[in-house]
Amino acid sequence: MTTLRLIPACGTLAFSVLLGACAVVSPPAPPAPPAAAAAAAAAAPVTQPPKEVMPSAAPAKAGPPSAKAPAPAAPPKAPVALAKPPAAASKPPPAIAAAPAAPPIDLKSLEVKLKESKAIGLMTKLSLKNQVDDLVAQFKAFHDGRRPPTLPELRQPYELLLMKVLSLVQDQDPGLAKALHDSRDYIWSVLSDRDKFLKNV
Amino acid sequence: MNKTAIAVLIFLGASYTAIAADDPKQRQDLTAVIALQGKPCGEVVSYVAKADNDFVASCKDGNRSRVYVKDGRVVVEKQ
Repeated sequence: MTTLRLIPACGTLAFSVLLGACAVVSPPAPPAPPAAAAAAAAAAPVTQPPKEVMPSAAPAKAGPPSAKAPAPAAPPKAPVALAKPPAAASKPPPAIAAAPAAPPIDLKSLEVKLKESKAIGLMTKLSLKNQVDDLVAQFKAFHDGRRPPTLPELRQPYELLLMKVLSLVQDQDPGLAKALHDSRDYIWSVLSDRDKFLKNV
Repeated sequence: MNKTAIAVLIFLGASYTAIAADDPKQRQDLTAVIALQGKPCGEVVSYVAKADNDFVASCKDGNRSRVYVKDGRVVVEKQ
């Protein structure tokens, strides 16, 4: 029982580190083999799948320590002890997957946010608007079939303008800067695709 | 008496203009505009407001630029 309580406490920390730590801690437990053996025997059908997982995981990291372990009763404990960490390890992936869920900002909201931002002065906003209008006019010419400005040629001024806006905004409006940075590819996809361009601009 | 009052008014007016011409936000705005247009400047250290949306900015590197709005476009002219 005590070993069962101690091990989940270990399992809440970094799993990879504790995998080795728990494997090292389990050998000193031999004094209570009867109770653990009884518990293991009772839970044998349930813990069978974890046992299959453990042999592959335990030798990988805790191979040398288990070789040093003097007690032969240690192997049955290790599967029981490490049966819970996999369940805890399955929790982090959802948290990581939930983080990049922010949708890209569309052009209209971006325009509104830039207009409302206090990070840029009035004349700077007007100057930016001029440059955006110039770039959009170049894209319009491209979509009309005129060809000095090819798509690769338009990419450079697009990136340059985006970097200008980012550099203006990033210090005083980091939220907008992040939204802008995250929408970089989305905005390019709108500008470069004829249908999307005509629909949005 | 009248001369003193006029002198005070002129002094106050001049002081107000000096303060207005040293607005750090305006300097920052002008610096950003000049940089956006790709003109050399570095940083605007002072400026003179000639009219609404019409400034002459003095830069840290010694350059002077006129920044004004014409037909909805911001124009930067090196002087």
